[in-house]
Amino acid sequence: MPRRAPRNRVAAPVALQHTARVLEVRGLAKRYGDVVALDGADLSIGAGEICGLLGPNGAGKTTLASIVAGLLRADDGSVTIAGVDALHDGRRARTNLGFAPQELSIYPPVSVRENLTVFGELADVRGALLRRRIDEVAEAFELTALLDRPARAMSGGEKRRLHTAAAMIHRPALLLLDEPTTGVDVGTRARLLDAVRLLAADGTAICYSTHYLPEIEALGASVAIIDHGRVIARGKLDELVATHGEPAVDIIIDPPVPAAHDSTNGGPDGTIEHLADRIRIRGPHAANEIAHVLVGLGSDAARVRRIDVVSASLESVFLAITGRRFEADAGAQEVVSHGIRP
Amino acid sequence: MAFGRSGAIARNELRILRRDPTFVLIMLGMPLIVMAFTKPAFRAALIADGVAGANGAEQAVPGAAVLFGLFLVGNIGFTMFREHGWNTWERLRASWARPSEILAGKVVVPLAISALQIAVLFTAGVTFFGLHVRTSVVGLVLVAIGFGFALAGLGLALMSLCRSVMQLNAITNLSSILLSGLGGAITPLSTLPSWARHIAPVTPSYWAMRGFRAAILPGGSANQAAVSAAVLAGMGVICAAVGLARFRVDETKVSWA
Repeated sequence: MPRRAPRNRVAAPVALQHTARVLEVRGLAKRYGDVVALDGADLSIGAGEICGLLGPNGAGKTTLASIVAGLLRADDGSVTIAGVDALHDGRRARTNLGFAPQELSIYPPVSVRENLTVFGELADVRGALLRRRIDEVAEAFELTALLDRPARAMSGGEKRRLHTAAAMIHRPALLLLDEPTTGVDVGTRARLLDAVRLLAADGTAICYSTHYLPEIEALGASVAIIDHGRVIARGKLDELVATHGEPAVDIIIDPPVPAAHDSTNGGPDGTIEHLADRIRIRGPHAANEIAHVLVGLGSDAARVRRIDVVSASLESVFLAITGRRFEADAGAQEVVSHGIRP
Repeated sequence: MAFGRSGAIARNELRILRRDPTFVLIMLGMPLIVMAFTKPAFRAALIADGVAGANGAEQAVPGAAVLFGLFLVGNIGFTMFREHGWNTWERLRASWARPSEILAGKVVVPLAISALQIAVLFTAGVTFFGLHVRTSVVGLVLVAIGFGFALAGLGLALMSLCRSVMQLNAITNLSSILLSGLGGAITPLSTLPSWARHIAPVTPSYWAMRGFRAAILPGGSANQAAVSAAVLAGMGVICAAVGLARFRVDETKVSWA
């Protein structure tokens, strides 16, 4: 029997203002043997919109991007790019697509300019136009001084910038960036985000797959949260946070977690759940309940390992919709940074 | 098919080659060295074979061209495995280029190297090794073209059939030597055992050597060379068809990574 992904509560869609739909994904399904990778995913991205495709590892982000890019066949559903059916006329649809896969994919022996040249020429950009585009993307990604350097002689961050720049050389209507900041330093991340913003301002629809929540917030992107192969929340960041972003506190305890009793049940500022390894307080003023719960734990308080405060943010949206913390799969560093060690 | 996109792939291959031309230099230099020390031995063999006035270059030059030409077969496959090693294959697939355009671009540079190799070896043969093309220069050129087609087809077939670069290396090195030996490129065909002479016509090296000899030695003809060229081109087409039938764009090739 194929494994069915648990059905998550799907958040009510928030209306987006972008009028021209560049990417339309409807009911996309993909299965690898018994494993369901995509389970009827829907996604729509408009011109000039940055959509942060957010989800833990294995949620289906890369599978979705790979199908849109024509690298994988879908079992069911539809994908249109700029109005062209990408599942039946993939090559024509790809003329509107720029794709930077998750893995670094550049030609190490040749120069930055030559890398950009080959990807430009493959998109039928040639001559003076190609030279101008190379100069433009090189400037946007701060690669101008490195144009004649062999890619293999560049730092990891520089290679990552070249990798992403190569997807933009032909100014596609839709840009798919699959975890573009994997393994880069803070400076490179900032440059990449700046370039993405510039491109969106120019009208490009951008699907930005990541599991780093702060990047989505920094980009001011709209959000599509994908989990178990379905887009379970979609909308503008601030609206999603306003609708679903109830703050929470996780008090993480060495098991067994004490059974619920009055002293560790919620006070007026939050409702409390007793989970396998934590007590979770939810509510607009959840942090006010920490002391109340710790006192209620009595001698069990000695087994408290950490207290995580999840403020109203994308993470609290993810928690509210899935019932799970984002840290379980990825992005632990972001969550730990909020943590309080007693 | 858009030649522009195949051209983009071919130019990229050329740029990569320019950054490290060692392979090409070896493929041009080594056969010259081999020709220098095999020529005297082949003189006696050719005279014993009834080729009056032979100086050995008549076997040494085409033999080296065929042997080292076959070593180029792996290069076609390697250019493809390299894309998997650098993770650029998926990027190419997501580009505007059709798979056929990518493959065409991949074949161009190895074919050009093959043409350059044959041109250099025969020019050096005439200039420094006393080779006389006594029957038909046109026939020689036709055989060289047919041989190029056969190499390209063989390269495409092996690229499709091999799953890892290690398989490709092992098979191309082994088959280069085996096919050269069977086809009479390492030693004249007349010196091979009879069983080997019987199976030799299934190899492209046999038809290449036969065609080159028809163009070089007295008693041959341009027509004989043209027949060999046609057989070689046919072999190339069959091998390419096998390669294309087996080729899967979404197959994961194991490169060095």
